[in-house]
Amino acid sequence: MFSFILRRLLMIIPMALVVVTLTWGLVRIAPGNFYSGEKKLPAGVEATIRKKYGLDQPWYTQYGMMMSNIVRGDFGDSLKYQGQSVNEIIRRHLPYSATIGILGYLLALTLGLTAGTIAALRQNSWFDYGSMSLAMFGLSVPNFVLGPILVLIFSFWLYLLPSARLGGPLSLILPVVTLAAIYTAYIARLTRAGMLEVMRSDYIRTARAKGLDERSVLLRHAIRGGIIPVVSFTGPALAALLAGTVVVEKVFAIPGLGNIFIQSVLNRDEPLILGIVAFLSILIMVFNLIVDISYGFLDPRIRYE
Amino acid sequence: MINSIKFIALTFPVFYMLKKRSSYFLIAVAALILSVLISGCSSSARGKYFGKTVAPTDNVLRYVTGSEPETLDPHISSGQPEARIYMALFEGLVEYGPKDQQPIPALAKSWEISPNVDEFIFHLRDNAKWNDGTPITANDFVYSFRRAFSPEILSSSAELGFFIQYAEAFKTEQVFVKNGDAFLLSKDFGGDEPKPHVAFGPETDFNKFIHEPARLTLEGDEKARAKQIEADPKLKAAVNGAEFVPVKAEDIGIEAIDDYTLRITLRQSAPFFVGLLAHQFFRPVPQHTIRTWGKDWIRKEHIVTNGPFRIKDYRPYDALVLEKSPNYWDAANVHLDRLEFYPLEENSTILNLYKAGAIDAFLNHSVLTSWTEEVRLYKDEYLNFPEASTAYYSMNVTKPPFNDLRLRKAFALATDRVSLSNYRKVTKPLYDLTPSGIFPEYDKAREKVSEEIRKERGIAPEVWANYRKFDPEEARKILTEAGFPVKKNGDTYSCPNFPTDAVSITFNTNENNRGIAEFVQAQWKQNLGITVPLKSQEFKTFLKDRHDVQYVGFAQSLWSGDYMDPYTFLGLHYGYPNNGDAGFNDPKYNKMLDDANAELDPTKRYEMLARAEFYVMEQQPSVPLTINATNWMKKPYVKGMYPNPGTLFAWKFVYIESDPAKWDHDVENIMADSDPQFERQLNELTATQKAVTK
Repeated sequence: MFSFILRRLLMIIPMALVVVTLTWGLVRIAPGNFYSGEKKLPAGVEATIRKKYGLDQPWYTQYGMMMSNIVRGDFGDSLKYQGQSVNEIIRRHLPYSATIGILGYLLALTLGLTAGTIAALRQNSWFDYGSMSLAMFGLSVPNFVLGPILVLIFSFWLYLLPSARLGGPLSLILPVVTLAAIYTAYIARLTRAGMLEVMRSDYIRTARAKGLDERSVLLRHAIRGGIIPVVSFTGPALAALLAGTVVVEKVFAIPGLGNIFIQSVLNRDEPLILGIVAFLSILIMVFNLIVDISYGFLDPRIRYE
Repeated sequence: MINSIKFIALTFPVFYMLKKRSSYFLIAVAALILSVLISGCSSSARGKYFGKTVAPTDNVLRYVTGSEPETLDPHISSGQPEARIYMALFEGLVEYGPKDQQPIPALAKSWEISPNVDEFIFHLRDNAKWNDGTPITANDFVYSFRRAFSPEILSSSAELGFFIQYAEAFKTEQVFVKNGDAFLLSKDFGGDEPKPHVAFGPETDFNKFIHEPARLTLEGDEKARAKQIEADPKLKAAVNGAEFVPVKAEDIGIEAIDDYTLRITLRQSAPFFVGLLAHQFFRPVPQHTIRTWGKDWIRKEHIVTNGPFRIKDYRPYDALVLEKSPNYWDAANVHLDRLEFYPLEENSTILNLYKAGAIDAFLNHSVLTSWTEEVRLYKDEYLNFPEASTAYYSMNVTKPPFNDLRLRKAFALATDRVSLSNYRKVTKPLYDLTPSGIFPEYDKAREKVSEEIRKERGIAPEVWANYRKFDPEEARKILTEAGFPVKKNGDTYSCPNFPTDAVSITFNTNENNRGIAEFVQAQWKQNLGITVPLKSQEFKTFLKDRHDVQYVGFAQSLWSGDYMDPYTFLGLHYGYPNNGDAGFNDPKYNKMLDDANAELDPTKRYEMLARAEFYVMEQQPSVPLTINATNWMKKPYVKGMYPNPGTLFAWKFVYIESDPAKWDHDVENIMADSDPQFERQLNELTATQKAVTK
C-alpha cells in the first residue's frame, strides 16, 4: 500500500506539468493579449510592452522560461494585478472559497447522508418520496436562481440575514446554504442508491443471521459499503468547492478563488491562469488519491497492488 | 412583516401535505409557492425611498466602484473604477470639477497658458505634503511625469500625454540622430515648420533646448529603424555616419523652474491640455518611497499618498477602506471620516446591497435594464444624466461592401436611433461623433455651423432638420442606386442582390450588446429587407478583430471621453491607425483637425472642429447609435456628489447629511439646486485660479 501511495504521489508532478503545458498552449492560441483594452495601444507602446514581457522571443524560449520558473514553484507576478504574485493571490483567496466550500459540503454531507439513508431504509414511504422529490428539485434549480430567492426571503422580507458580502458568521449562512443545495441533493440520491444495493447484499443478510441488532447492521456494516459512491463523488467535488464556485461568489460578493480564476482567463493573465490550473489539478489528484485510499478502509474487498 | 406572515401562511400547506404522502401534490404546491414568491417582489408596496434609507452615523461613505482595481499605481491603470480610487488617494495639478468635470485647482493653486497654447506654467501650493509629512514640490511632478512616460511603466493611457514634447519618443524608446555636433531636425524630413517661439516664463537652459526646432526621432529598434531609413532615400543619405542618441527622460518637455513652479511644453497647441492633467496618468507618485521599495511601494504597508484620503485597510476583491488624511493640505475641507470602496461587478448584487442599505451609492451603468422601470420612480435617488460616452457601429471601410460610401449612408439612414433609445430606456439618440449635452459651447458652435452649411447648400430648414437622421425611403433609394435594388413585396422589403454573407454585426458577448444588435438587425430587415447576421465574440477576441479591422461589416464600439473637450471624440478617426476601428483615414479630415487645434480663439476653434465633424460624418465611417447615460443611484443623504459626465467624484466635496430635511430630493434638478456648503467650498478653491485669469 505504501508503494501504491508513493507511486501515485510521484505521478502528480508530471501530470500537473502536462496540464500546465496544455493550458499554456490554449492560452497562447486564444486571440488577444493581457494588455489589450477598449483603446488601441500605439504601435510603439505595444512593441515596448512585448519586449518587456519577452513576448518578442520565439515560443520555445518563452515556454522554456515559463517552465523553468514553474518547476521552481514560482509562477511569477500577475500581469493584470501588477506587483501581486500568483502565489500570494492564491494564498489570499483560497481561505474564502475553502471556508464556504467546506462548510457547504459538510452541510450537504450531513443532510444528504441522513436523508439518503432514511429514504433507503424506508423505501417507498412518504419520507422517501418527499425527500427524493426535494432532491430532484434541488438538482434542477440552479444556484443563480436559488441564491437570489434566498436573498429575497431572508434579507428583504424577513430582514434576518445580510444580502451579500462577508462579515460575521451570519453572512455565511446564505452562501453556504445556496452552495449546499445541489450537493445535498446529489449526495442524498447517491446514498439512497448505494444503501439500497448494500442492504440487499449477502453480507448484510449474514450479519443479520448472526443475530446482530438492526442498529449494528446499519452502522457497522451497511453504511460503510453504502457510502462508497458518495466517497467517489467527494474527491472531485471537494476539490472543485475549495477552488471556488463562481456563481455563489458573484451573487454573494465573496472574494473567493473561483471568480478570480474566471477573470484571469478573461484577462489573459497567463501566470495567474497557469498558477490556478496547476493548483487545481494537484488538488484534484490529491483528493482522488485520498478517495482511493479510503476505499480500502470502507470495503475490505478492495486491495492495492 | 406582512410579507413574512404571507410566507408562513403559504408554506404551511406544504407541511400539511407532507403528511398526506402525496408527492405529486407536493411538487404542484411547491411550484405554486415558488411562483408566488417570485411574483411577490413586484407586488410589494413602494416606499418613498428604495429600500433601507438611514444615514450612517459614523460619517462614512460606502461606494461600489466596479471591478477590482488593477493596481494602486495611478500611472499604470487607465480604468474608470481605478480613477475614482486615485481621486481619493492621489492629488494632481488639477482636479475634475464636481459638476462639469472642468479642471479646478488642486496641487496647483493657479496656472498660466502661453499665447500659442503650447506651454503652461503651474504655481504649486507651498503647504502640500505627502501623507508621511514629506513636502510636495515641482520636482515630484518632474519625477512622476518622467516615470509615467518611461518604457518600464506599462500604461495604456500614455498616449494622452503625447502632446508633451518628446514624450512619445521617450515612451517608445526612439532615438535622435546626431551628425557631427548637430541633430537632424524633424522639419527637414517632412515634419511641421516650427512656430516662432514666444518667450513664456523665465528663460532657462532647458527652456532654450525644448524650444529649439524639433529634432528628428527614429525607431529605437534596429531592425525597425533600418526599414524606416531604407524607405526614405533622403534620410538614408543624411544618417550615413551619424550617431543614434536614445531619447532620455530628461528630454521630455517638463521642467521645475523652482520648488513651486512647473512648466510643461507641448509639441503642438492643445487648448484642452489643462483638463487632461486631472487624468490619473498625470497624478504624482512619491519618489522617496518608490526609490526605497521599488514595485512594492503600492503595498498597503508601504504606500504613501497625497490625496484627501489615505489607506486604512485593503482586502483585495472585498474592500478598500480609506480614512481622512490628516496631512492633506486642505484637510479642513474633507468632510468624510472614512470612504469604503467595494469592488463588485454583479449588478443584481450591487442593487441588493443598495436596497439593504449596506452601500450608499454605486457606479454608473449598474441598474439592470429589467429594474430600470421600477428604479427610475425613486426620483430622489436615481441619477440618469448624459454621459461623455457614445455607442456606435464601426463599419469596415477597407472591404466591400462598405468601402462604398453610398452603402454606409444607406445603413445609417435605415437605423431609427430614437426608437433604439426608447428601447434601451436610459440612452439618447446619437447622430454624430460627439455626444450633445456634454459640451454646451460646442453644441452652439455645431448649430451655427450646421445652419451655415444649410444656407450654403440652399436646403429648406424643415428638410435639413431631418438630414442624416432616420429616413428609410432615402436609404432604399440610395441602396437601389448603388446597384442593390430594394423590392417591395406587400408590407415587406427584400434586397436579393445584397451580399449578406459578406457582413455581420460583431459584438462582444453581453446581454446589452446582443439586445442592441438584435434591435438594429430587425430595423434593417424591416427597412431594407436585409438580414445582417449577428456574431458574438469573447471580449479580447473581439477587440483583436476590431482593432486590426479584421471584422466584416459592423463592429460594436463604445467610446468614453478622456477629457472634457470634443476633440476626445473627434480624434477617433484622426491619423492612422486610429481608435475609430473603421480603417478610415482621410488626410483632409486630419488637416481640418490640425488647423482647428492651432486656432487660439476658443469659439472659432469649436466652429472649425464642428466643420470637421460635419465633414467626417458625411463620410460615415460609423453608424452612430446612442449617447450613453450615467444610470446610477445614491442615497438622498449623500450630498456633494453630482452626476457629472464621467461619474468621477472629487471626494472632498462629498458629505453625509444627517438631517432628512436637507436631503437631496428630485435629483433631476440636482445640477441646478443650490447647496451653500458645496458652493462655498468650490468658490474658495477656484478663487486662486480666477484671480489669475482676471
